[in-house]
Amino acid sequence: MEEKWLHPLEELGKEDNDIVGKKCANLGEMAKAGLPVPYGFALSVNAYTSFLSRTGAGDEIAELVERRPVSPQDIAGINELSASIRAIVESKEMTDTMRSVILSRYDALCARCNSPDLPVSVRSAGTVSHPGQYETYLNVKGKADLLDKIRKVWASTFNSRSLAFRLNKGMPLNNEPIGVAILAMVQARSAGIAFSADPNTGDLTKIIVEANWGLGESVVSGELMPDRWILEKESFKILDKTLGKKEKAVVSGVSGITEEELSKEKASAFSLSDEEVKGIGKFVVDLETLFGVPQDIEWAVSTEPSSPPIVLLQARPVVIAKKSTADQVIDMMVNLLTVS
Amino acid sequence: MIHDAYDLSFYEFDDEKDPKEYGVLLCDVVHGRPPLKPTYIGIGWQWYYYGFRWGAETLSLPSTHGWDSRFVNGYPYITAIRTTQEEASARAPMFREKIKPFLEDFDSVWDPLKTELIQMYKTARASRGLKEWKDIERLSNNDLLSFFLDFAYIINRKEGETHMIMLMAVYYMSGMLQQVWRNLFGVEAAIDPNFTSLMGGEENANVRVTKTLWQLGRQAIDLGLQPIIDATENDDAVLSALAKTADGRKWLDLFHEFLLEDGWRCERMHAYDTAAWIEKPGIAINKMKMLMKSDVFPFDTERERVNKEREAAEKAVMAKCPESQKEVLAMLIKGGQNASHWSEDHTYYCDFYIGAMGRWIINEFGMRFAAAGCIDESDDVFFLHPNEIRKAAIPMGKINLRPYVERRKKQFEEYSEMEPAPFYGDIEQAQAILQSDPTLSVSTQVPIIRKELKADLYGAAGAPGMAEGIARVIMNAKDLSLIQPGEILVAPGTSAAWTVVFSIIKGLVTDGGGALSHPVIMARQFGVPAVSGTVEATQKIKTGQRIVVDGNQGVVYILDK
Repeated sequence: MEEKWLHPLEELGKEDNDIVGKKCANLGEMAKAGLPVPYGFALSVNAYTSFLSRTGAGDEIAELVERRPVSPQDIAGINELSASIRAIVESKEMTDTMRSVILSRYDALCARCNSPDLPVSVRSAGTVSHPGQYETYLNVKGKADLLDKIRKVWASTFNSRSLAFRLNKGMPLNNEPIGVAILAMVQARSAGIAFSADPNTGDLTKIIVEANWGLGESVVSGELMPDRWILEKESFKILDKTLGKKEKAVVSGVSGITEEELSKEKASAFSLSDEEVKGIGKFVVDLETLFGVPQDIEWAVSTEPSSPPIVLLQARPVVIAKKSTADQVIDMMVNLLTVS
Repeated sequence: MIHDAYDLSFYEFDDEKDPKEYGVLLCDVVHGRPPLKPTYIGIGWQWYYYGFRWGAETLSLPSTHGWDSRFVNGYPYITAIRTTQEEASARAPMFREKIKPFLEDFDSVWDPLKTELIQMYKTARASRGLKEWKDIERLSNNDLLSFFLDFAYIINRKEGETHMIMLMAVYYMSGMLQQVWRNLFGVEAAIDPNFTSLMGGEENANVRVTKTLWQLGRQAIDLGLQPIIDATENDDAVLSALAKTADGRKWLDLFHEFLLEDGWRCERMHAYDTAAWIEKPGIAINKMKMLMKSDVFPFDTERERVNKEREAAEKAVMAKCPESQKEVLAMLIKGGQNASHWSEDHTYYCDFYIGAMGRWIINEFGMRFAAAGCIDESDDVFFLHPNEIRKAAIPMGKINLRPYVERRKKQFEEYSEMEPAPFYGDIEQAQAILQSDPTLSVSTQVPIIRKELKADLYGAAGAPGMAEGIARVIMNAKDLSLIQPGEILVAPGTSAAWTVVFSIIKGLVTDGGGALSHPVIMARQFGVPAVSGTVEATQKIKTGQRIVVDGNQGVVYILDK
């Protein structure tokens, strides 16, 4: 019964996408391939639906939605509905069974990592790709915090954006089951993203790496200009590197995350050595080979002795910006004219 | 050996270096036969050849720096100045930026330029107290010379640049479509009826002018003036004949308004030595008489058919295209259609107008030089270059210009008797040259030979349809009135000045012209089967022979041999 709700990462593979969500399935696949991913486990979509049905939250939500229908254009109404639904979800306690399944696995994880109240990340994992649509919580510590954040991640499936999307498509409002990834936090000295193809041009011959000090959030959020490297995919030669405009970094706080100012030295220094950049480049190519398409990944560099130097946190296919028709026509013209 | 070109160093042919350097140079018989005259070659034509390069560089065209031009025995030869692979790659990013507006919103590029040109011409026409054509006679030599220099160095330059940046962009797009067509469908677009059908239908400025003239003819008929017009065989005398009645005078006012607005066009587009409509209204009267034979405007009756064919072709083509490429092909087709439309439209705003302005000013100098004894007859002025005009204009009468005229006139007369070589260099390279610079097919051509068709002539492009009829070979625009309705016109090329005949001929065969040339575009619009780019039609076909024109296949059969 409990196995339906929880799966250790090592037992997962990409075929489990519909059970635990893309993120978890991919991490499992990466673990199987021997690539350095954090220790952790996944909650399945069954855990989500089970929680909603056994606590009665699902029924309450259905009732609410029927009582107060909202039109897709009514932004204020959607926001209100979203807040109400999330409040319902977050107000429910898990069943004892579910709580014990999750917490015993958390205990095992803490033991494995030799750290009671092990800090973990709690990440939403949809079965369909929704980059940035649902919540992720970092530096979650201890049992109470863990259960609370899992619930919050589940509740985030009812955020305004998702409700509006479903309303527009005429889909039922009250259910989009997701998986959840619970991963040991990497004490990141530096972190960021990498692509094995240029997302703007579709150039398959380049690797792009972006990084900042601290946790990857500062890079992923797009709020600053990170350090940037371009590598030649075939040789991993660094073709270009640009220092970012980085004044702050995101780091773990007491719990959760916080921003801190970077010292002048750090702000004016590259957050990765050339060797580290190449190492990341090699991994993103490994992932491209593993999944068969160019990859968009998140990674962290750790200086903890118990951790691999580079840890891979997430991998998904690169989304290449859709070119306008005019650009496609010009591509064709340029190809016809510059290739003899 | 370096061959002289009427003392114009810009065009001198080095018969050892040039063929080696360029591979092949092709004869532009569409524009260059009968031969162009020195004054025009040195002013209007030279701005065009500067313009091709200016346009190619401004647009950063990847595969070409523009065209180069040589004159050999008085005939123009053209070739592409190709880029290297490295240059092509380096130019691609800027090209992307420059060509985008043409693809995304063509009208937003061309419309303002048209307005700018007309503004420039009208300002010049109203300068120095001028209004009517004859007013130029009142200018002092000083004012006439300054007007000439404005024309030769400022106005014509602006027209050349505008003309050629549009041409290079527009024909580049069309050339791409033709290449993609070849890749997608395995057929040469120029002789594929599906391709040519895609291009037809839109009314352009020249058709509008012809239609206005036809409408004036209808108005003359409604006012009961037809008997007077028919009775007056001499076209030039028609105006004075009509001036005798009140209704006639009413009509003449309308006609004059028309000429002031749309009459700035000469019999020959790329010359200064033929009269403009506004100068010699009898020319327009002559064309109007031809149009008065139809009580419907032929373009209008054809338009529905042409549009239907275009829609059917669009459907057929899109059905054959892979789903993922449909949007791209649709945009390329639109680009090709814009090219086809612009091809005709621009002659009103560019070639015709600037040619008429040149006629206005230079012909006046011709009259004055002849009267002052600098040259024997006013037409001799069309053998002079700007520096010679400058030399002799002030004070008028001091300089003997005859040596310059005589030398060039003698050459011109010899050249007129010669058959121009169709090319210099290695003809095998012609396809490569044409592909590297798709804009070239507006002026030059390589016939597509298909021996299995057993034809007498093969063309480079066609307008769809088949026609059988009697051939009429016309070498010169001044002989156009010899054409009988229902005949098949055979000519070196046609220009927008020949537009009117398209409404009476049954078919068309030309020596020159590729897919983007005037004969093909006009023939398609008027529903006339045509084969262009045969190179030797005017040599092989004789007036009176019965021939078959197969515009679908791009071939011609001579029945009476």
